[in-house]
Amino acid sequence: MATSSAKEASFSPYEDNGGTNLAIAGQDYCVIASDTRQSRGYNINTRFAPKTFKLSDKTVLSTAGCQPDGNMVVTRIKQHMESYKHAHNKEMSTPAVGQLLSTMLYMKRFFPYYSFNILGGLDKEGKGCIYSYDAIGSAERVPCLASGSAAALVQPFLDNQVRNCNQVGKPRIMAASPVSHLSLDQAIKITKDAFTSATERDIYTGDNLQIFIVTRDGVEEQVHPLKRD
Amino acid sequence: MFLTRSEYDRGVNTFSPEGRLFQVEYAIEAIKLGSTAIGIRTSQGVLLAVEKRVTSSLLEADSIEKILEIDSHLGCAMSGLTADSRTMVDHARVEAQNHHFTYDEKISTKSVTQAVCDLALRFGEGAQGEKSIMSRPFGVALLIAGFDDDVKEGDGAQLYHTDPSGTFVSYKAKAIGAGSEGAQTELEQEYYDGMSLQEAETLALKVLKQVMEEKLSATNIQVASVTSEQGFQVYSKEKLQTIVDAL
Amino acid sequence: MAARIDLPAGGFSFDLAKRNAALEAQGATAPKATKTGTTIVGLVFKDGIVLGADTRATEGPIVADKNCEKIHYIAPNIYCCGAGTAADTEFTTHMISSKMDLHRLTTGRDSRVVTAMTLLKQYLFRYQGHISAALVLGGFDVTGPHLYTIYPHGSTDKLPYVTMGSGSLAAMSVFEAGWSRDMERQAAIDLVKDAIEAGIFNDLGSGSNVDVCVIEKNHVDYLRNYARPNERAQKEQQYRFAPGTTAVLKASVRNLVDVVEGDAMDITS
Repeated sequence: MATSSAKEASFSPYEDNGGTNLAIAGQDYCVIASDTRQSRGYNINTRFAPKTFKLSDKTVLSTAGCQPDGNMVVTRIKQHMESYKHAHNKEMSTPAVGQLLSTMLYMKRFFPYYSFNILGGLDKEGKGCIYSYDAIGSAERVPCLASGSAAALVQPFLDNQVRNCNQVGKPRIMAASPVSHLSLDQAIKITKDAFTSATERDIYTGDNLQIFIVTRDGVEEQVHPLKRD
Repeated sequence: MFLTRSEYDRGVNTFSPEGRLFQVEYAIEAIKLGSTAIGIRTSQGVLLAVEKRVTSSLLEADSIEKILEIDSHLGCAMSGLTADSRTMVDHARVEAQNHHFTYDEKISTKSVTQAVCDLALRFGEGAQGEKSIMSRPFGVALLIAGFDDDVKEGDGAQLYHTDPSGTFVSYKAKAIGAGSEGAQTELEQEYYDGMSLQEAETLALKVLKQVMEEKLSATNIQVASVTSEQGFQVYSKEKLQTIVDAL
Repeated sequence: MAARIDLPAGGFSFDLAKRNAALEAQGATAPKATKTGTTIVGLVFKDGIVLGADTRATEGPIVADKNCEKIHYIAPNIYCCGAGTAADTEFTTHMISSKMDLHRLTTGRDSRVVTAMTLLKQYLFRYQGHISAALVLGGFDVTGPHLYTIYPHGSTDKLPYVTMGSGSLAAMSVFEAGWSRDMERQAAIDLVKDAIEAGIFNDLGSGSNVDVCVIEKNHVDYLRNYARPNERAQKEQQYRFAPGTTAVLKASVRNLVDVVEGDAMDITS
């Protein structure tokens, strides 16, 4: 039987390109790290597609989710920071970028960027700071955070190791407190172990690990190999 | 001279052959008819003081407002066609709120001053083709006082002067309005670096007393300060009375 | 007398099919099956067959098993690589293996690859693709070496080099570049290893190690973890917790066994 009923053309502009991000804030540092695998379904698009970007000497932004959307967020934030510099004759502070990102995401409330962002850096007092976002701009300052495809694997590990959750006899860091008590060295070790472990069990995480370390001396970038299977 | 003036002083968009915009110059002249306003900057904060012309015994002196709040850390004093200042202060307030909304921080005094001056230029066509929104330049000058929180210790206090041409300049101490010439000379002699806010308060009132036609009292002046701790604060009647009495 | 345990009659039980469909219509989600999003390959060389497989099993985006076995035993001279739903490949091959065993006992002859292939394709065809098993079947019988692919719907191919699973394209690119007729044993093993590694590294459904199975006349080498190209790196720290780290919220001790003093044990010899 031939029928000619109305057809709905599907429009699916979003895609998940995988990958994991992590951030840990300390008294005078912030560590932000991502793997560099970019994938689509079961295919690897590239083994080195950075998802974390240095915005200034104090601020780093990492994105996960749909790669083009994340890139657009970064481009627009960078653009805005540049014009802010000219308008106000100073570099934007990390909390200011934090608020800007939130507004920017909420402006697209009904056609959001499919991008899960972590903003990390130092605040005005030089303390580490991390802002956690959902896709439409809900923001919160937290001491540590994981996002992306292995977030569900990494976040409990961070809660346990950074915030001392479920450890009797160790001082618990509340989710609302701004920084952890870890040394930078410990934070980097935890970061590396989080990623090698996530690579073992999450198929979208792997290839390389990019670590950004923000201190008062600026931003240091490290790249370490991860498993490629 | 008279001839060129009469030919070139009507359009706000036309320079005279000597390179002058007469309407703007006239607008600056209008300020000299206004009541005197003084601003003094110290490391502790900025002091604003204005004279109120209470022209009738029936006039409610409280209804004259010449010092207005822009944001919790910003205030301004004015002289000239004070009605024009409403537009400017409204613009400054929106600009300050917008900045706070977008960046979760206080707008700097310089940025808010710049925003006001951008508006002051809108009597001509805008550079990016914005429509002209005013038929004439503003006839008011502002003293914008603020306290910036993210600068070096002791550098927070800010005082800017804006005029109808859209020019703004930072001052340690500045007087505008009818008595500005005498007042400025007095300020130049009396001001010194490292002055306390208390001393600035005394100086401002002393200068104001000298240039005012009426006898200075708690009712015919308005005083405000901007400090790091208190932000913008207009002096209460009682506080004014005490400092006037002490003078 | 011990009660006789009644085993259910053979075959699938569809008892809950209607109930589950009704539950799903109400919004319940069916449990997810473990898939072997896989790379499996096979080729014919001079003296027989080489089969290869990766060892990753996945459950959605999560690696469920890092070192699972995907080359299944069918008969002493026949092995079968499986891709698809782990349970389907395991049970299908196991069942056919039993049938082949019975067939050998009945006939008194060695199994033939074509027999296994026919049993598999008839079985899969009967279930119209609902049993998601994609297989690479290889063996050496009285008629020589044979290599088949069997698709979940029951179709088959007989080819000199084959690949299957989500990494099949990556693996086939290696075969297309490197396979030739009458290869030497070691060259054939190396090519299979390269093909599986292409899948391991380029297909996210495949990973970990390379299993190889070489089937020659009267001889089989099952080379479990022939290559291990993905050893886990040394961790930066030890994560050991002191005893008592986990909070005890509530304790309750019960005696499940009553100890009754009885006669002493007889320890005389």
